[in-house]
Amino acid sequence: MVVGDFAQGTQVAVIGAGPGGYVAAIRAAQMGLEVTLVEKELLGGVCLNWGCIPSKALIRVADLKRSMELAGPLGLSAKDVLVDLRKMMSWKDGVVEKLRKGVESLLSSNKVQVVQGTARLTGDQSFSVESSDGVHRFEFQHCILATGSSSAELPGIPFDGKLVIDSKDALELTAVPERLIVVGAGAVGLELGTVYAKLGTRVTLLDSAETLLPMLDPQMGRVMQRAVKELGIELILKARVQGLDRTESGGRLRYSTPEGERTVEADQVLVGIGRWPNTRSIGLEKAGVKLDKRGFVEVDTSMKTSVSGIYAIGDIVQGPMLAHKASYQGKVAAEVIAGWPASFEAVEVPGVIFSDPEIATVGLTEEEARKEGYEPKVGVFPFKALGRALTLGEGAQGFSKVVSDAATGTVLGVHIIGPHASDLIAEGCLAVASASHIDDVTLTIHPHPTLPESIEEAVEQIEHKAIHIFNPPVSGQ
Amino acid sequence: MRVVFRLPDVGEGIAQAEIVEYLVKKDDKVKADQPVVRIETDKAVVELPSPASGTVVEIPHKPGDTVSVGDPLLIIESEEKTAKETAAPEEKPEQPESEEKPKPMAARKASEKAPEPKEKAAEPASRVLATPHTRRLAREMNLDINSVSGSGPHGRITDDDVRKAAAKAVAPAPKAPTAAAVQAPATAGFDFEKYGPTRRTPLKGVRKRIAEVMVRSVSTIPHVTHFDETDVTDLLEVVERERLLAEKRGIKLTILSFVAKAAATALIEFPIVNSSLDEETGELVFKEYVNIGMATDTEAGLMVPVVRDVDRKSILKIAEERQERSRKARERSIDLDDMRGGTFTITNIGSIGGNWATPIILHPQVAILCTMRAKPQPVVRDGQIVIRTIMPLTLSFDHRVLDGATAGRFTNHIAALLADPMRMLVDMA
Repeated sequence: MVVGDFAQGTQVAVIGAGPGGYVAAIRAAQMGLEVTLVEKELLGGVCLNWGCIPSKALIRVADLKRSMELAGPLGLSAKDVLVDLRKMMSWKDGVVEKLRKGVESLLSSNKVQVVQGTARLTGDQSFSVESSDGVHRFEFQHCILATGSSSAELPGIPFDGKLVIDSKDALELTAVPERLIVVGAGAVGLELGTVYAKLGTRVTLLDSAETLLPMLDPQMGRVMQRAVKELGIELILKARVQGLDRTESGGRLRYSTPEGERTVEADQVLVGIGRWPNTRSIGLEKAGVKLDKRGFVEVDTSMKTSVSGIYAIGDIVQGPMLAHKASYQGKVAAEVIAGWPASFEAVEVPGVIFSDPEIATVGLTEEEARKEGYEPKVGVFPFKALGRALTLGEGAQGFSKVVSDAATGTVLGVHIIGPHASDLIAEGCLAVASASHIDDVTLTIHPHPTLPESIEEAVEQIEHKAIHIFNPPVSGQ
Repeated sequence: MRVVFRLPDVGEGIAQAEIVEYLVKKDDKVKADQPVVRIETDKAVVELPSPASGTVVEIPHKPGDTVSVGDPLLIIESEEKTAKETAAPEEKPEQPESEEKPKPMAARKASEKAPEPKEKAAEPASRVLATPHTRRLAREMNLDINSVSGSGPHGRITDDDVRKAAAKAVAPAPKAPTAAAVQAPATAGFDFEKYGPTRRTPLKGVRKRIAEVMVRSVSTIPHVTHFDETDVTDLLEVVERERLLAEKRGIKLTILSFVAKAAATALIEFPIVNSSLDEETGELVFKEYVNIGMATDTEAGLMVPVVRDVDRKSILKIAEERQERSRKARERSIDLDDMRGGTFTITNIGSIGGNWATPIILHPQVAILCTMRAKPQPVVRDGQIVIRTIMPLTLSFDHRVLDGATAGRFTNHIAALLADPMRMLVDMA
């Protein structure tokens, strides 16, 4: 690297090495382009270091503990499973480190130049990187912005990493809190609230919505609400946070409900109310990159911004803030730069919540389908009626639901709440992306006994032909 | 009910058009078949008639906007009866019946045959049934997947449908580059402003179309250009002598019509030059008709009106038709059909000057003839230097389909006919 006033030239600059940025960098390199990837913290970004991966590691441990505790009826007894949080965290850190090293080695094998530091655009073809050894200047032909997002704060209740924590802090606790307030019952709140509930914390989960998970199929919210209760989590809906008072042991959160003002005390408050795109202080104005009203970078289906040669992907553009969306868009941007006709169009982004039971969805809900003008025909199959689900011995909660278009038989959406929903959804993703006909699913042999049979049966149930359930007409038809 | 009038498929290969002018305003009453919007497609300005009678409730675009086949042009609140009458025979049964679907213009005329019963009250939705792979294939062929009609169940679009639609298109974009050939757009990263002020205007309409067609041609056809010249002294005398006769019939006779006739004669003699390569099937397509395009310079850019069956028309008739079509091309009123179906092209920049040029073939034709300015030059005849009027000829040909020897013989044939009007009279097709 050249220090001083000399700018280093690069064909493709990628700013941010999260699941969007590093994937874009590798794909661009695969296409024969010369790539420089800039990261201010750690390769893999939030997802690998402080998000998806470490949370899944902790969820796995918490699940294991819970399974052991509930194994009595299965003929196993493991009373008083002891939690060594320090050891748990260090195992999790090991998983993260292994993956990070993997990313590092992939980047190096693909000859991507990795630059450590904080990048800021200085023009429409240049940026600077501030690093421990000074400021370096770069010029690029193409730039992919992949700067990600940060946890949103509650107004007046800033994060301090001790009393008020975000998802990142919650993955690095040194002690299991006795009482934890979780504000926001979305993916972060449900996943981490569940982890700590399973580790023995008394969790209070607050959300301002009238129902749990209002954007999903309403049946899912109801199943989740029961499940949360079973875990001993106190769920308070229609709650609006008013303020936080510090106490000797922690804090007292004031909130309002339609019934009046309430308070709840806890050692810590985990705020998971959403994320903001990191579009400030990266020099967008210097390059002339346009933002929309909500602070997202405006892009077209080629991921091109308002400035020629500059692309944006992932959390800083509109759409769900999910790693797989960022990766997909990263590949699109890299391929477009390489001259391929890639496009982020007609793409359904699946969503997964690693709660207990897991939730995974792709495509349209019944209601969305109706709003779009389809005449939806749905099929539902409960895990209770599925052999493999019962053999897991975990209560077999939930169902698979498939939404199809009555006119053409096309699969429009798949919605799963239940064991391993996060893995099961892949079949739904393929069906929706391929605009599969429902027959394509039912005429495919699903191995027995497995959980994916629930999708096959749900699709058969659309035509009242599911075998392992009596098929009265489905509600809503 | 509400009728969404979408940009119909105005003919083969046209995926986009620019809106020139709306002939109606919001809240105007319109009658079915009344012209409502003028659009500019690749080479012509076309007026589109309203699909229904009713009131214009929304005009979603403004003049200058580029729209794709299937995009809404106008939304009309019509009396239900009229809308039904204008509902076209549905090609895809699952598609919304309340909308005027993109369809060939000709199909609209036959529409009264098929008043289909309306089944649903709500506006039905319908997604394009295609796998991600097929969608990518369409992008690679520069096709809007929405404009491809599917042959599968419920109109599902197969890879084959996409390939067929692409083959139909006049000028699909070059295929995606291979990994080795990958590169950024040639002008990407150019800082033109660095060296002085600049002005940008979008490449559109005819200009854009020419750009696409030319790129398509040079990126698929291995061009070879053959140079020759011919003595047109005697021919020019004939042209001069018959000019008056032509003028009496309102025709401007030029050497170009003779060149076209000579070319037609040579094309009959060398059918390979009148062929096309079907890149999809790898077959040569021999055409049993001779339609010659003659390039015309217009304000909007180069256009190529086609005179059909040149082998069966008199030279005066060829001159007359060419004159008429060139005028229409310049006035932008030419029918798209009059610029299609050419089997060979002649371009002539004699009126402007220059000695030689290497013309680009109009894909999927396999050759193009360029004639230059005829000038008096000293030449050797029977061992003597004499002054004759010499016209340079260049022929670019598709080396996949023919070789230099054939191209040379073909050019010789034309040159010989042009050099000797009597021979032309005797030999002409």
